[in-house]
Amino acid sequence: MSSLADYFETDWAAMTASDWVGTILTVAIFVLMVVAYFQVFRPKNRDELEAKKHIPFEDDHEDLGDNDGRP
Amino acid sequence: MEATADFTAERKYDFDVVRWFTIMAVVYLVVGAGVGVYIASELAWPFLNFDNPYISFGRLRPLHTNAVIFAFGGCTLMGTAFYTVQRTCGVSLWSNKLAWFTFWGWNAIIVLAVITLPLGFTQSKEYAELEWPIDILIAVVWLAFTFNFIMTIANRKSSHIYVSNWFFLGMMVMIVYLHVVNSLSIPVGLMKSYSLFSGVQDAMIQWWWGHNAVGFYLTAGFLGIMYYFVPKQANRPIYSYRLSVIHFWALMFGYVWLGAHHLQYTALPDWTGSLGAAVSLAMIIPSWGGAVNGMMTLSGAWDKLRTDYVMRFLIIALAFYAMSTFEGPVMSLKTVNALSHYTDWTIGHVHSGALGWVAGISIGAIYHLMTRLWHTEMWSEKLVNVHFWTATIGTVIYVVAMWVSGIMQGLMWRAYDEYGTLAYTFVESVAAMHPYYAMRAVGGGIFLLGAIVMLFNVLMTVRKSVTAGSLREARGTPAIAAA
Repeated sequence: MSSLADYFETDWAAMTASDWVGTILTVAIFVLMVVAYFQVFRPKNRDELEAKKHIPFEDDHEDLGDNDGRP
Repeated sequence: MEATADFTAERKYDFDVVRWFTIMAVVYLVVGAGVGVYIASELAWPFLNFDNPYISFGRLRPLHTNAVIFAFGGCTLMGTAFYTVQRTCGVSLWSNKLAWFTFWGWNAIIVLAVITLPLGFTQSKEYAELEWPIDILIAVVWLAFTFNFIMTIANRKSSHIYVSNWFFLGMMVMIVYLHVVNSLSIPVGLMKSYSLFSGVQDAMIQWWWGHNAVGFYLTAGFLGIMYYFVPKQANRPIYSYRLSVIHFWALMFGYVWLGAHHLQYTALPDWTGSLGAAVSLAMIIPSWGGAVNGMMTLSGAWDKLRTDYVMRFLIIALAFYAMSTFEGPVMSLKTVNALSHYTDWTIGHVHSGALGWVAGISIGAIYHLMTRLWHTEMWSEKLVNVHFWTATIGTVIYVVAMWVSGIMQGLMWRAYDEYGTLAYTFVESVAAMHPYYAMRAVGGGIFLLGAIVMLFNVLMTVRKSVTAGSLREARGTPAIAAA
């Protein structure tokens, strides 16, 4: 490889259907990961998401008033 | 308050099947580790083969891996998944009968493995040795497990699905894909089949399965355990829920690429191995994010580690998780792989993950479950502490022995003299391994001793609960429970 451009050179005409499916899925997943990252770490969403961390403990409190056996 | 809540939970949820999975997990830990120590001893002292094919290394090794991964690991995953999905969704299992079918089906598979593997029936695929009829049974039981889990989530009371359930579900869905595709074969008899794939494609499918069994079964599933049991044992919520969300998605999308790094310098196209290594390096970020998230849950309460022996297991497991998820990517790099591949370094790496991370987090979760499911304290807290130290010391001795042995092997195999010929014969490298093989057997033996101590403590705790009537009382009327 003489240059970075050579390293990334692609023979687009030689791409098979499998190659295109793989490429599109990869790019789509990359974009989705970027979207997920920004959504999760957006300050506006902080409180809503962090509130979920208490779920394992809600179960104990809920049980105290629940005497009917099964839900 | 906690006791009252647990008493109510006992009547609200289906815990019997969880209890049985929990006990069997501990039994299989002893069996699996026991077989492991025996075959480690065979390598150090080959006379232990006794010229008997049924107990030779080649036949017992898959029995060891199947026992620890699928028997111990499987029972732990199924028990904890059925427990946490009920507690985080606020409903009992969708079908208790299907859960019992899962229990008996999974244990039947384990019995079949114990019979067929020493007899030499194998597909010769790593971590997928069992022959095709058993593979079909695995698919049926796994689907029953998955369907019951999904339907329980569908019936949940809470609006949000807690992150531990995401990890369990990710594991379940991916293992269906991986197991079915990797097991595709042409049967030529009741216990003989040939893979549908051949040559390098077969190798690629094998390691697509092999590394994803590590990624989704031994990592994602046990992270599901971590995200529920670390906060519960610490009695504090997870450090960052947002980090856990990113951890999940990065793990799900990243792990599937890694398998090719097992096939560096083979007939596989060069770029596939490079891609596998590149994504392996990228995976350090979510893996460490998850490990830090678990550890930081104890932020401000580190003193708990002084007195809470169960917490020690959970936190040391996270330390091993961080260590092995750094070591793995480093080993996947071509330059390092040229030295490490086919050597004992790989065995050391696998066991730092298996003994340190998987067994550590499982043991912590099982001790937590014991007190919740039998409504009593452990029979002996001191023995839990003894187990912690035997497990940790045994693991460290094992891993260090294999690191030294592996690096020495790699260096001896590649050494040339001034004439360009190999400096050592293969048998010289085998002889040089002997002290480390003995050391590995000792480390494994110490770990096994801890597992036996755990089994004894667990059985005595059950006996204590039965004698004191704790479980009976928990199943009784609310008035008694409140008292």
